[in-house]
Amino acid sequence: MPVRELSSGIYELDIDDRMILATKNMIPGTSVYGERLITDDGIEYRQWDPSRSKLGAMVLKNFDIPLETDSTVLYLGAASGTTVSHVSDILTDGLVYAVEFSPRTMRDLIQLCDQRPNIIPILADANKPQSYAHIVEKVDVVFQDVAQPNQAEIAVFNSKYFLEEHGHLMLSIKSRSIDTVASPKKIFKEEVRKLESGFDIEFEVLERKELEPFHEDHLGLVAQMFVDDEE
Amino acid sequence: MFWLPGQTIPVQRSGGFELADIEFTAWFGKLKLDADGEIQDCNLFDNDPEKLAELVVQLQESSKEKPQSVPLQRTDLRDAALGCGFVELDEDYDILLRDVCIRAAKSQISQTDTDDSRIIQAVEALDDIDKNVNELSERLFEWYGRYFPELEMTGEELANFVSTYGSRSNVPDDHELSEKASQSMGAELMFADEELLRSFARNICSLYDTRRYIENYINTSMGSVAPNLCEIAGASIGARLMSMAGSLEKLAAFPSSTVQVIGANRALFKHLRSRAPSPKHGIIFNNPVIKNAPWWQRGKLARALAAKISLAARTDFYSGELDSTIKEALDKKLESIRQANPNPPERKPEAKPQGKGGKRRSRGRKKNKKSGGNK
Repeated sequence: MPVRELSSGIYELDIDDRMILATKNMIPGTSVYGERLITDDGIEYRQWDPSRSKLGAMVLKNFDIPLETDSTVLYLGAASGTTVSHVSDILTDGLVYAVEFSPRTMRDLIQLCDQRPNIIPILADANKPQSYAHIVEKVDVVFQDVAQPNQAEIAVFNSKYFLEEHGHLMLSIKSRSIDTVASPKKIFKEEVRKLESGFDIEFEVLERKELEPFHEDHLGLVAQMFVDDEE
Repeated sequence: MFWLPGQTIPVQRSGGFELADIEFTAWFGKLKLDADGEIQDCNLFDNDPEKLAELVVQLQESSKEKPQSVPLQRTDLRDAALGCGFVELDEDYDILLRDVCIRAAKSQISQTDTDDSRIIQAVEALDDIDKNVNELSERLFEWYGRYFPELEMTGEELANFVSTYGSRSNVPDDHELSEKASQSMGAELMFADEELLRSFARNICSLYDTRRYIENYINTSMGSVAPNLCEIAGASIGARLMSMAGSLEKLAAFPSSTVQVIGANRALFKHLRSRAPSPKHGIIFNNPVIKNAPWWQRGKLARALAAKISLAARTDFYSGELDSTIKEALDKKLESIRQANPNPPERKPEAKPQGKGGKRRSRGRKKNKKSGGNK
């Protein structure tokens, strides 16, 4: 079975001419949310459904994913851990801080953390980075999927506290959670503007694409913290 | 330009003379940093995961009230922990932090079982039971109807009848239905089917019992958890409002215009998206004040009721004591609305003959014109 590495730790398997996105299963034999397990050449992969994961969709949309096997990631809006489990697969030598606000979904996430050594659960509001500043170290990547009206602000807030200089920010912006009525294009433009110059730290947007057909009215975005290197 | 709440920027104020030291508490200890983020002093905590987890939760709780100022140019936490000798290796840091955070999150989760969350679960269970018991009752009606079609019973009455008597031949002679039973055109009920039907009916009865049980539970706990809300909106509507808002705290934070239309989501979004009229009431419609009012008063009454409901929710959340003045003020307000609007207003002469259909048509035409023009 042909296996192609799309980005570090992210694979595309060719099963009878059907392309399947997958990551190497860190805990072989266990499926996290009912996804398919595929074994090839003694290595077990977990299928990654892009329509259930913004990050998965971003991979298939040919984004340049800034995750490396030894990255430290701050994941905002971890939910039940569907995507986090794949991030955990990718970061074989890394660590992911998974922030989630809802105790109900945190319950599921904790089960995942119990199994996997590289996820650190934090039950907190991503709007208030101070409330977990005593836990989180500097990270290489901030990934945010919180679907809140003040998404850009939350991203910048957190980056300000936790993102390394020149670190990457990955965002999934859901236009409907910002304004249900206005046109998505307009909202995306405004959010990008906010990231680039709306706050006191700035980002350089590297890539932006809508996540159709996997997610409706979502914009995927990869940005890098812009640091004015004084000479 | 914006500032983080609670943030202090000591570097600018110090002006280079006095170095403003910052105290920052991390999960592993208290750090004293100078203006450049260099560690001056560190006071390490015990490295017992259980105690550290408690501290982490405490720190998080206290930062909600008063966020601790976080020096942005502080050294990395991991480097600090290694530098102060809290752990020796990178891996130890990961292992300990993971253990601590999992414990902390678990203890936070177990604290989320609050009074209002229990009521919310109960009210949602009530809805589930209603939905299912209706379906099951209908099935019993169809099924038992083959054997005793003349029986004009539905719902709990029917379930009780079936579980008590089973086949209609078991209805005693002195029962008021005995004549109907003996002359029924229904088929004979075989023993095996009879047992099945009786057990099915018993289950339905017990669901009705559970439903009453839950209802009582909601009535009594609403009285103690949210006495004002219970008095103004009624126990069941109050509980439903909490369930839709997510918690009593959230309901207390809602503006009363939101309270007025909670539960009318579809109508509200239709109104926001197109030119549909705004909804007058959401689930508070079920309150007899509005339900029994004539249509032209409903909007006004709903507004007054919603205003007092949010007042009641706030009183409940922040003080928890029954305040009878809310109810009095509400009654006064309701009465004055009723008196000010005794008669239905005259509808506008144009709107009446066309009604809703007319409006819709005119909107459609406009749309067509627009899209035609664009082409």
